[in-house]
Amino acid sequence: MIVFEDVTKVYDPDVVGLEDFTCHIGKGEFVFLVGPSGSGKSTLIKLILKELRPETGRILVAGRNLGTLRNSKVPLLRRNIGCVFQDFKLLPNKSVYDNVAYALEVVGEPHRSIRRKVPEILSLVGLAEKTNSLPHEISGGEQQRVSVARAFVNHPPLLLADEPTGNIDPETAVGIMQLLVRINRTGTTVVVATHDRDMVNRMRRRVLQLEAGRLVRDERRGSYDQVTEEADDAF
Amino acid sequence: MRFSFFLGEALGSMRRNWVMAMAAVITVFISTAILGAVLVTRDNLNQGATNLKNRVMIEVFIKDNSTPEQVTALQHKIDTLKAQGQVKSYTYISKEQALAIFRKRFGERIVANLPINPLPASYQIQVQNTDNVDKVAALFFNDPVVDNDPGTHNGVKYAKETVRKMLGTISLIEKGMWVVTIIFAAAAVLLISTTVRLSIFARRREVEIMRLVGATNWFIRWPFVFEGFITGLIGAILAGVFVWVGNWGIANWIKSTQIDFLSLRVYRLWWQGGTWPLGLLPTLALLGAFLGAVGSLVALRRHLKT
Repeated sequence: MIVFEDVTKVYDPDVVGLEDFTCHIGKGEFVFLVGPSGSGKSTLIKLILKELRPETGRILVAGRNLGTLRNSKVPLLRRNIGCVFQDFKLLPNKSVYDNVAYALEVVGEPHRSIRRKVPEILSLVGLAEKTNSLPHEISGGEQQRVSVARAFVNHPPLLLADEPTGNIDPETAVGIMQLLVRINRTGTTVVVATHDRDMVNRMRRRVLQLEAGRLVRDERRGSYDQVTEEADDAF
Repeated sequence: MRFSFFLGEALGSMRRNWVMAMAAVITVFISTAILGAVLVTRDNLNQGATNLKNRVMIEVFIKDNSTPEQVTALQHKIDTLKAQGQVKSYTYISKEQALAIFRKRFGERIVANLPINPLPASYQIQVQNTDNVDKVAALFFNDPVVDNDPGTHNGVKYAKETVRKMLGTISLIEKGMWVVTIIFAAAAVLLISTTVRLSIFARRREVEIMRLVGATNWFIRWPFVFEGFITGLIGAILAGVFVWVGNWGIANWIKSTQIDFLSLRVYRLWWQGGTWPLGLLPTLALLGAFLGAVGSLVALRRHLKT
């Protein structure tokens, strides 16, 4: 689903975002990206969305080479990628319903099917009661669920989440993660960048650890921290 | 294109950001009103100048005792000048016509007491080029048919120095007006695009989110373009009405005073030839709407780089 080959991204005054990064994320996987702030997690996500361009290397997303993808096709790429962010990124003036519907309007979905799909997905994320609320009228956890609903309403093959539980209390965060797992079970590839140690340790999924833009660990059922024996092996 | 969706988005956002929308309307109003005022004034001055030019006329008065042959000879002379391109047109005013004009201007009572008709017949000659009025007039100074007092040329009357000076002033003002027009048109574009840019800057987050969910650039643009269009339209219609009312008021005021030599026009709001191919209001409205839409497009550019 996602292939990075020797990707390097350098920000303007030679701040390294990502260095010689190579990895392969298969269809239907659930992957955690971990690492301290500034280690390159967000850079990685922005590269997948083609918000940024790498200096060197090749990135393939769903078989498309982002290097040769025309700018006019970028919106089409993004429609195939659901996005969830730490700060939710909801349109503040639109109701819960309209925020989710917007993602469908963009694709040119007929109104009849919008009216069918939006309530469906809202009840899936448990927000059937809040349809007409504005984002500032509901809690952070609820806002994040709206954002997940928006990301998933098109049933994209890939869902990216950048610190989805960063602004949410731990109990609510579990609910969000369960939602992401359910989405993953439908066959959607899910990539989650996170600081949430407990979450990663509990879920035991594939973990990619970044440090200063380099991949330092790629473990199948990994934990947040590197276990010491494994550290000896790695270096 | 989902017209109703985009229109709904535009109207909704104007309602939510009504302070900004009003600021934009006022900006368009001020700039197009100034522009409109300048254009109306220019048009009026043009009209006034044309009027004055038509008054640059040579009147040649004919002695009462001239024979018909002498008068014919004079007319022949004018015809020759016309053929040479010096004279644009001329009219013969007979003694009776002169009296009728006099009666109309000064009233029946004065005329009724006159034992005879003291007014001479005349030719009214319009020259082709107002700058040559002296030269053409001089050709008639010593004509035997002309009703001069001894030792003068007062049988030939033509545009006074003042009229010609005024014409010079008007043409200078007109040139200045062109400069002012261009400056204000540029100012209008800048003001509008700044206002739109401010309102879009305030909503850059919205634009960012739209892009993230995969909206194409045009999908993002249309609501903003509609918004600019509507804003510009409202502001410019207000400006058009304002300019019209101003023009109407000033024209009527000048007519009521004694300085109506420019014969100002009261423009109709709808149909007007010349400078206003579509009429004052429609032209300004279209201009405002166009400026608004283009302003939105220009202001959005930097936010839509992929």
